[in-house]
Amino acid sequence: MVLGADASFLNPDKLLLLVVLAATCACIVASMIAARAGSVPKIRRIAGLEAVEEAVGRATEMGRPILFVPGIQDMDNPMTVAGITVLSRVAGTAAQYDATLDVPVSRSLVMQAARESVQAAALQAGQPDWYDPERIRYITDEQFGYAAYAAGAMARDKPAACFYMGCFFAESLILAENGNAIGAIQIAGTAETAQLPFFVASCDYTLIGEEFFAASAYLSGAPDQLGTLRGQDIAKAVIALALVAGVFMATIRVFSPEQASEPTVEATQ
Amino acid sequence: MQKDPSRIKVVVATDCGSTTTKAILIECVDGVYRQTHRAEAPTTVEAPFADVTLGVTNSVTELQELSGRRLVNDDGTILRRDSPEATEGCDLYISTSSAGGGLQMMVAGVVKEMTAESAKRAALGAGAIVMDTIASNDRRRPHEQVQRIRELRPDMVLISGGTDGGDTKKVTELAELIAPAKPRPRFGGEYSLPIIFAGNRDARPAIERTFAGGGFDLKIVDNLRPTLEREHLGPARETIHDVFLEHVMAHAPGYDQLISWADAPIMPTPGAVGDILQAIAKGRGINVVGVDIGGATTDVFSVFDGSFNRTVSANLGMSYSISNVCAEAGMESVLRWVHLDMDERELRNRVKNKMIRPTTIPQTHEALVFEQAVSREALRLAYVQHKAFATELKGVQQQRTVGDAFSQEEGGRSLVSGMKLDLLVASGGVLSHAPRMEQTASMLIDAFEPEGFTELAKDSIFMMPHLGVLATVHERAAMDVFERDCLVMLGTCIAPAGTPVAGKPVMRWSARWDGGSAEGTLMAQEMKLLRIGERALVEVVPERGFDVGAGPGVAVKREVRGGSVGLILDGRGRSLSVPDGAEGRRLVAAWAKALELHPD
Repeated sequence: MVLGADASFLNPDKLLLLVVLAATCACIVASMIAARAGSVPKIRRIAGLEAVEEAVGRATEMGRPILFVPGIQDMDNPMTVAGITVLSRVAGTAAQYDATLDVPVSRSLVMQAARESVQAAALQAGQPDWYDPERIRYITDEQFGYAAYAAGAMARDKPAACFYMGCFFAESLILAENGNAIGAIQIAGTAETAQLPFFVASCDYTLIGEEFFAASAYLSGAPDQLGTLRGQDIAKAVIALALVAGVFMATIRVFSPEQASEPTVEATQ
Repeated sequence: MQKDPSRIKVVVATDCGSTTTKAILIECVDGVYRQTHRAEAPTTVEAPFADVTLGVTNSVTELQELSGRRLVNDDGTILRRDSPEATEGCDLYISTSSAGGGLQMMVAGVVKEMTAESAKRAALGAGAIVMDTIASNDRRRPHEQVQRIRELRPDMVLISGGTDGGDTKKVTELAELIAPAKPRPRFGGEYSLPIIFAGNRDARPAIERTFAGGGFDLKIVDNLRPTLEREHLGPARETIHDVFLEHVMAHAPGYDQLISWADAPIMPTPGAVGDILQAIAKGRGINVVGVDIGGATTDVFSVFDGSFNRTVSANLGMSYSISNVCAEAGMESVLRWVHLDMDERELRNRVKNKMIRPTTIPQTHEALVFEQAVSREALRLAYVQHKAFATELKGVQQQRTVGDAFSQEEGGRSLVSGMKLDLLVASGGVLSHAPRMEQTASMLIDAFEPEGFTELAKDSIFMMPHLGVLATVHERAAMDVFERDCLVMLGTCIAPAGTPVAGKPVMRWSARWDGGSAEGTLMAQEMKLLRIGERALVEVVPERGFDVGAGPGVAVKREVRGGSVGLILDGRGRSLSVPDGAEGRRLVAAWAKALELHPD
């Protein structure tokens, strides 16, 4: 007997995923269209993003630099991308105030993206001369080598404001504790749940998970981006409701008479 | 020379305003200081007289005629007592001044929300009008800043910027904008414009170099933000007062003579008001808000937890600025306080008439209702501006715990809290001269929306400036007069904070006072007035979700002060909202009836 395989465009086992994806996309597109038509959603104030000016102002008054750490992952990580978005805002404000901004990075691609972002922000702020590429520099790919450099820079330069925006692991507390010790205003943002408690405890403001990803839409205020946020939120709410309903129905099924009479997997084993 | 307070028994105080010079006589009667007589005369600082002392002499002469006590020498100077037994003259003469526009200042700082704001706070607290604030981030280009500096004619300039050991570059750049711009002083070319530098101590040599030989009188004082965590306004404020006396007053017509007459430094009027409110807040351990609404401007003063703030809302007033009030608040916001049948067109006509004849006062009931409606909005807007200015320091490191994960509040929160407010003091024509005290109380409550227990009072003859200067020489005398003669107690307002639901109760209450008692339930959107005399013992049990100061749903039992109005129970919730249209008009009419605002 000869065994053969038939090509298929559709895996029927994953049909549900396709439906969810299509529904989510439809939701986002509909929200974007609604936002363009004038129904722009409002986002609650995010203290961490509102405090950017305060932090840059502090650095200006104290005549000290600002330190921006965009995490230790590469550009393929969405947290790094979100971090670069916030960097653009920080750079724009720093350019306006003529404050010094230091951005040590641990990946070469991130350095290039950060330079372009900061240069664009300086141009937009009307201060092209403020941009200095030497202040955005590559340190090392090594996690603790990079953390050691950042901690040393804090001890030497005593920045008045520190931003940690991106993907962090064990180095998060090393950075945040050093920043706290030198009396800097610290604003952190990450979606790494394991690192969030450290940032919350040692930083002035922390962007938590979704807040961090919403930063781009929040800072730009563009209807398209705000509409996207609403579309995502609606999709998430529907999925959450489906989950709750599923759990509820599964629970009922466990306690239903016909199910109760069936032997459990453990019992049969 | 400082006088011995125990020897001060008779005090003459004057306040030289732009149009009127007001004089009061304070005497020690049976061991207690009382304000016994009051007089006024036109201010004579402008041509053809051009001598402020003439108005002072005229007002004190009238005081002399009213009191029967000789207070003026034949040469027009103030007569002093030569012995404690003498029945002529006074022991102390003091004065304040806001004539000729008061003290006008320009301030500058590195960051608008930090050192520039502290500089503004110092200037306003010293009684100045801040003409403009220059900052490195005020979104103006350098040439625009220079142009603005050249346009202004300030009495003095206050420069701040950089913490001690911090930035020197930006603050020097500010000085480099001001020095070549050569702002011309208000009092002419012979006058060297005073510049007060209260910034980073490391920048002092550079600042001195920048202003050297430029026709400026540079004074250097301690940094008003030595660190971003601390604001140190005292030295800057004192220097502003000194410069006001040495330069500004000395160049104003007749003030050199007035300074020689006075036994204490002449203060800017608003600065003196701020001083007395601070003294009261400190003495009684309370939080106070004071308001003075005028024709062109509205001053709001507050002392919360010992922090003093003053704001001047330059375009909110009842005559020259009435049109701006209506434009800023919106006609519908003004109209919501009118319970009579008045449409927007009629309201606009009234506003324009007031613009054409700004000094007229209401002659009809409708005109009075209209004017008081505008005043509510003017006061509300001025209070909103004040709350935005009276904030915690910005740029300060926050201390967090993991518990703050979902409640990270921003820095720079307002210090002003309706629930923490203990005493609300009103002054200014529309409040002081309202035909009924109930109307003054109602305007205050509607505009300021006090929460919990708040005492309401008014300074009917604007005596606070006199007492502010007196407090610097004889604090007990100032307190005695403030409590007994300055303030007219209106009563107490009890307003539970929360969102009322129509038809549902807000709180249960009971009150006992001399000769009476009452109890009941206050419903949503209801107002109630109790005539309780001097004092009453009140117990309030708020419903769940409503707070009168002890927490949501927690009962409070305490003594409250009555007054000319009494105890006002306000069940409208906070923040206050008035429905549109006929329903709103019906509610406003019901509140007016409950408070007996227009009994005829």
